[in-house]
Amino acid sequence: MANKATQETVSRPVQPKTGTLVWLCVAAWSVPGLGHFLLGRKLRALILFVAIVTMFVLGIAMQGEFFTTSSGSYLQTLGYYGELCVGLAMPIARFFGYTGGNPLFVSADFGTAYLVAAGMLNTLSILDTYDIAVGRKP
Amino acid sequence: MTISHFPAMILFSLLVSIVFGVLSKDTPRERMSYGAKIFVAFVGVGLVLGWIMYPMP
Repeated sequence: MANKATQETVSRPVQPKTGTLVWLCVAAWSVPGLGHFLLGRKLRALILFVAIVTMFVLGIAMQGEFFTTSSGSYLQTLGYYGELCVGLAMPIARFFGYTGGNPLFVSADFGTAYLVAAGMLNTLSILDTYDIAVGRKP
Repeated sequence: MTISHFPAMILFSLLVSIVFGVLSKDTPRERMSYGAKIFVAFVGVGLVLGWIMYPMP
């Protein structure tokens, strides 16, 4: 009985500090896959980076729309936060002159879906980083 | 970049299923299997819904 209790105590993972967790999540948000990379999951990080960034770039190539919070529409505001979840890719695209797409372009709706989905997938990646860091996942 | 509905759906399904597979399972074999299932489900459901909605005005 005592031996079993000792084994459970030994196998419990060490909880990281809150500051470390916050920095990991910020890193995971800013660059897709960076949180996994910092935790030593390099292949997983590479796959996530390539998939999410490809999705974002395809969204831009299809003239997807960058939503704003100034429209007053709840759906557009939600879309803005969804796209913002992709991290630094959005301000970088703006820096290089992408003004938010052309809603009249033939593939613009697909592009917008790609942009929002990239943000949502990065949110899942952030949550996965957190789970790995606290020892819930291998 | 101009893309039609079907390639857009295939690309979307492929990228999302890759991320779902990587995040949801622990071993490479499980990830491949789960990712393939998600991809087939995305494309299959998309085709069925398209087929059902085709006669609609």
